[in-house]
Amino acid sequence: MTGTLLLGGGLTAALAAMTICFAQKIPSARLVKICAATSASLICAASLLLWYLIFENDFSVEYVATYSSTTLPTLYKISAFWAGQQGSFLLWLLIHAVTGAVLTFRRTSAAALGIYFLLQGVLVLLVMAQSPFAEHSAQVYEGVGLNPLLQDFWMAIHPPIIFAGYALLAVPFALSLGALLTEAASRSWLEEARKWTLAAWSLLGAGIFVGGYWAYKVLGWGGYWGWDPVENSSLVPWILAEVLLHLINLAAKKPAVLSVAHAAATFTYALVIYGTFLTRSGILGDFSVHSFAGTSIGLAIALTNALVLIGGLSIILVKAKSLPQGNMYDTHREPAFTILLSCLLLIFIAAIVWVGMSMPLLSQQAGEAAAVDSDFYVKSTAPIALALAVLMIYAFIKFGRMLSLGGKVAHVGFLAMLAAIVISAQGETVTQELQPRTTVSIAGHAVTYEGQVFYEAEHKKFYVYTVDGEVVRALTKLHNNGTDAAREPAILKSLTGDVYIAPHAPEVVDVQELILTKGLFAMDGELGYIFDDAHIDRDENNQPTQASAQITITDGEVEEVIHPLITVTPDGGSSTAIEVFNGKRRVRLTGISGDLEKARLEILPTLDKLSAMPVTATISTKPYIWLLWLSVTLICIGTLLAIKNFRREVMR
Amino acid sequence: MRKIFLIVLLVGFIGYAGLNLAESVTPYVTIAEARATQSGVQVKGLLDKTSAPAQVGNEFTFSLQDEATGEVMRVKFDGVKPDQFDEAYHVVAVGKYDAADEAFHAKKLLVKCPSKYESQRGGE
Repeated sequence: MTGTLLLGGGLTAALAAMTICFAQKIPSARLVKICAATSASLICAASLLLWYLIFENDFSVEYVATYSSTTLPTLYKISAFWAGQQGSFLLWLLIHAVTGAVLTFRRTSAAALGIYFLLQGVLVLLVMAQSPFAEHSAQVYEGVGLNPLLQDFWMAIHPPIIFAGYALLAVPFALSLGALLTEAASRSWLEEARKWTLAAWSLLGAGIFVGGYWAYKVLGWGGYWGWDPVENSSLVPWILAEVLLHLINLAAKKPAVLSVAHAAATFTYALVIYGTFLTRSGILGDFSVHSFAGTSIGLAIALTNALVLIGGLSIILVKAKSLPQGNMYDTHREPAFTILLSCLLLIFIAAIVWVGMSMPLLSQQAGEAAAVDSDFYVKSTAPIALALAVLMIYAFIKFGRMLSLGGKVAHVGFLAMLAAIVISAQGETVTQELQPRTTVSIAGHAVTYEGQVFYEAEHKKFYVYTVDGEVVRALTKLHNNGTDAAREPAILKSLTGDVYIAPHAPEVVDVQELILTKGLFAMDGELGYIFDDAHIDRDENNQPTQASAQITITDGEVEEVIHPLITVTPDGGSSTAIEVFNGKRRVRLTGISGDLEKARLEILPTLDKLSAMPVTATISTKPYIWLLWLSVTLICIGTLLAIKNFRREVMR
Repeated sequence: MRKIFLIVLLVGFIGYAGLNLAESVTPYVTIAEARATQSGVQVKGLLDKTSAPAQVGNEFTFSLQDEATGEVMRVKFDGVKPDQFDEAYHVVAVGKYDAADEAFHAKKLLVKCPSKYESQRGGE
């Protein structure tokens, strides 16, 4: 309730700021600043409230119950904020609103601010349409918790970086339309737009790269990029923003480029919204491995997308006559031609990715749903990327000295990235069954599977390998019931590249189940079990919260008494296996009857036995993959460095 | 001259991308339709629980059931069983039907799990 009120206040203040900006007769820069700051503060307050609810374990809020739990470590409680759809929209809005408040203190035209706060209002509505503050229909005592795959440092920071990129791309869009509405032929917006676009491009790129690194390090399917719609939907705006950036730079020197720079600003932001629509509406449910559950918010995002695209293009068309005409370049030998040609190649690549990711949607309109396989992207973009690389090398040799330091670093980084993508894909991949403590030679490396090491109390285990004499471990996070939750690869890093070992799902092992009746003796073949007593804790509504049992286990001579527990969670219950007789047996309580007369016990294989089982693994080599991580870092750093150097580059 | 250059580039690109696209598109079909065609398709179905999936070497075999008609088709996947396959309620198989083998040869499997954000990439 409080959350909705705060958001409602944020919406009102944003709309007030917008109204003041569009009613240009009133000289009210101060009032705009106040409204913008109020809106941003209320949205900050709503965000802090969500964090508070997460840290307070308030599971009466559905979002908290779905993405957090009492046992979640602090870092992941912070990141649980953006673990789901509703929260990630709030994060986007938060960055947008804070940026908006900053913009009122910079040289921004009233019309541009008006557009910006209109978008802010729309974003608030999108958050409210699917609120993270919605209450849970059922009473729960323990949240589901963050998906173990997402419990990783890189995945914790990935969404804020991506959303910062998305949010900042609203600035060049608003500046471009603001300039068109105020004085169409003006080029004074370019310098400010360039700074924000550089920042957005660097952040969006960093977000994409961090996501790729996480996929490589955690998902264990062997790559960093899968051409999944969620990945593509951030790649397309990133490429478009790159085009926008170059056109903004060029328009400062060549007035005729101004019209295409305006168009690029609109298309870039429209594609940000389009990507959100494609991935968040659930329409790709059957085509994407990222299964955000389908939601009714699709229509709202589609309308926002239409508003941005149609609104932007209409303004450009209406003002087209007032925009400078003429040649975009004079001769083929000047930098302008090279830049325009590379922009065209980038647009080609973006178009291919766009068509591929939109194929399910487009083909549905044509009557028959279809999708493209990931080979399509590689096959179609590779020749264009090669042409781009050749063009860039030529341009870098010929005109490279005209670039600022940041520009040089970013361009070298980009070329190195293209090279690293090709080189790192030249490795070998082998899938085979590995027997414990048996050395095999795979892709020129001596690989020994050493077995598994269990840390059941911490809900994790490691598959241990020795590769060329060095020990590497593959982490597998476990569910509370001991089954695999997230299986990460083992990676041996070296100067010549990585050796990447991804264990597959283990063979299903036999589990014996005993139904014990209170006071009666039962045997599992070797050991005897007596179910002594049980207890079920209930809450004020008589709903069970925790069940415990006392069971005596005997081998005929020695007795051992255990007190296993079941904790009630939204998806049933969870319990941990208990080792008895020094690891000779592992048992797990899986149920107690309501009348406390019967208990169900699983007799699990011992850890020694599990560790001695063979494992199937996919082993691959990734030549010089560190070059990829290095090159994308250079791109981001170079781009940030370039923010300062506009005048220098333009004046030359 | 400038315009001609641009038009040549654009036409060339559209032709090139269109050809690539035509080769790569795999329509979404039912099991009956998959059996009737020789080209690459995607089939979505329920896991047929009556027959046990089997992993033989590097080939994983299971049966897919059409949600509407109940028709069952054997699927052979060139790879190992994807993670979380056992918990899946829907499986999407990408590949083509081999009439001689009476089985669908899948290049890729998409496993759809009931819980949010938990589906896994299968065999790439």
